Amino acid sequence: MEFGFSPAEQAFADEVRAFLRERPLAQFPLDGMDAGYGSGAHSRAFLRALGERGWIAMCWPEAFGGRAAPMFFKLVLFEELALAGAPFGPLAGSWQTADAIIEYGSERLRREVLPAIARGDATFWQGYSEPDAGSDLLALKTEAHRDGDHYVIHGHKIWSSHAGIATHGLVFTRTSREARRSRGFSMFVVPNGTPGMDIRPIRSLTGGVYHYEVFLDDVRVPAELMLGPEGEGFQALLNGLDSDRFWGRFYKAPALERVLRRLVEHANATGAHTDAGLRRRLAAMAAEIAALRLLFYRAACLLRDGAPITYETAVAKVYADEMGQKLARLGIDLLGPWAPLRPGSHEARVDGEISHAYLTSLGHTIAGGTAEVLRTTVAVRGLGLPAEPRRA
Amino acid sequence: MDFCLSSAQQLLVATAREFLKKHCPPEMVQRLALDSHGFDAALWRRMAELGWQGLLVPVEFGGSGGSLLDVVVLVEEMARAGAPGPFVPSAVVATSLLLAAGTIEHKKRLLPGMAAGELLVGVALGHDGNTLLLDERGRLNGDARFVEAAHVADSLLVAARVGDERALVLLPSDRPGLARRALETIGPEKLFEVTCAEVAVNADDRLDPRWRDAVDAGALARTAELVGAAQRVLELAVEHAKTRVQGGRPIGGHQAIQHACADLVRDVDASRGLLYAAAWSASEGTPAAADVALAKAYASEACLSVARRGHQIFGAIGYCEEHLLHLLHKRILAASLDSGTTAEHLETVARSIGLGA
Repeated sequence: MEFGFSPAEQAFADEVRAFLRERPLAQFPLDGMDAGYGSGAHSRAFLRALGERGWIAMCWPEAFGGRAAPMFFKLVLFEELALAGAPFGPLAGSWQTADAIIEYGSERLRREVLPAIARGDATFWQGYSEPDAGSDLLALKTEAHRDGDHYVIHGHKIWSSHAGIATHGLVFTRTSREARRSRGFSMFVVPNGTPGMDIRPIRSLTGGVYHYEVFLDDVRVPAELMLGPEGEGFQALLNGLDSDRFWGRFYKAPALERVLRRLVEHANATGAHTDAGLRRRLAAMAAEIAALRLLFYRAACLLRDGAPITYETAVAKVYADEMGQKLARLGIDLLGPWAPLRPGSHEARVDGEISHAYLTSLGHTIAGGTAEVLRTTVAVRGLGLPAEPRRA
Repeated sequence: MDFCLSSAQQLLVATAREFLKKHCPPEMVQRLALDSHGFDAALWRRMAELGWQGLLVPVEFGGSGGSLLDVVVLVEEMARAGAPGPFVPSAVVATSLLLAAGTIEHKKRLLPGMAAGELLVGVALGHDGNTLLLDERGRLNGDARFVEAAHVADSLLVAARVGDERALVLLPSDRPGLARRALETIGPEKLFEVTCAEVAVNADDRLDPRWRDAVDAGALARTAELVGAAQRVLELAVEHAKTRVQGGRPIGGHQAIQHACADLVRDVDASRGLLYAAAWSASEGTPAAADVALAKAYASEACLSVARRGHQIFGAIGYCEEHLLHLLHKRILAASLDSGTTAEHLETVARSIGLGA
């Protein structure tokens, strides 16, 4: 057992902190809202600054322009950025896409898209959900049919994060009718602006825009932009889900810790720290956050070691999202009538962060697998309880 | 970072599981829980033969010089089996305190016998219910309550007030003026009230007054008990959910039960992560007080909720005396109250995260 960081990991953490000191966050314009997951707002400028440091591609093999740094360097980077509240919104998605391209992308994707990811230029939206295919993804209707050396995609995607400001969509489609319901799906990397693609913002209950819906009206894409094995897209997606959940939530623990620190400062400044009940709730929250961080690190060790993951990331994701709601609730009790004030409002406390966190946290237990679906996953896949009967 | 047990720890766990399955089956756990004496000297001796009571004792005093991390892993396994007996007070708390604050004479006199399973030392360290006062004449008066296994302890380590300070005193159980009276608990633990009436305390009965700086090995060990017992509740509940058929299908096929089981896993895994991280910090000699407090506070609440949810999953059968579930539950309850209450540990955490006093 070993719960510390290696000297190399520690040195890298110092390097990231030095970067954050040299480049104050206020320097980076934001171009998309913070959805509260812990990765901050969308800032292409910030992403490019990370790209300049070589940090986006650091874990890729040398043949693809990386330096084959160990996976834990990504965790160190995430943790430092999240503790600082940096706007690295799209980074996890960029990493996930790059890993898929390195694993089974075409030459063209490797040649054109990978370097753009490394620079922080390319970012991605996920075209998975559809109006009638949410938790039941296999009910999707978007189809792609082959036409010479192209595919033509037709369908309607929804809840795609940052689709309007990303550069490419990862569009999940049905490419053939198969006897087995889970076969015949393929993924495409579709550049934004391809003719036939219509991206429309969905204003959320926060008042901002994070999600989009995307209409695909006979969008022609070269066959080389298919990502992964044809017809086996669902299996590839499933295989990637654990690491999706992991990378999409790992930074939540340090992000919650950052908010907790702000609440502690606020409590000390306002005298609320003398309220025994609040004091205990803040301390208990610190314990929960520490526990969450370790759940993610345990999953990280499994991923690093190539050990099988059955339930670990699902447990951590649900816990992270429910904890975010609990922390926001605690923040509201601490701020009292000031709590609903928006960021930027006169008199807003803790920069209005708590009201925003409270609202965005409502989406977290839904996005990327609802808490209910994931608890079922934990029980069935992790504990071996019998699955409920479902359609073939 | 690495969450894996070392190969020596894996061996320790495997040996313990095998041994406890054979020598400490649920029927025995039941019997000892219901018996007011509730101490099995043969089991205690067998454990000593395996070197368990000597795990924290350095080699020069007859032990094997293991780490707190080793002992945490072992205690977790003991609690998983519901193994009774004063292992935590004697082999963990008293042993750690003697090592940290005892004189060389104390260590020589007690540790080899403790490691061999021949001597047992109880502890009375808590604030609650402790009115012991050591006066300037060297006389100890008052009561210490909730002292585990005082009836079989050869000596007792007691905390007493001396003026504004707290002193730690080592007393043979047969010292004149010292009396023990059983407190009847709902759980398998055997608790006593120790009363001192003009008990003479000599200079060489006193331990180093800085004893409170010693790592809270008791809180760590109790956290290990919480995790081990909760792990067993999880295993039993999942097994029950798979095999109990109602309406033509196992109850574990229903989402209501599935989701309850998923929460058991979360609570147990999260508690264990904090436990190991705190034990690791303590074993590395880094400041671990906040980590230990955090782990104990968290695991107390999480594991109690595992126990309660376990009862819900088991339904009526879990309400029976002959079922292991309630014993595990009561063990969790007892561990959560010993070596610092949740409120006390949360206050330590509150200060560590920067909340003003």
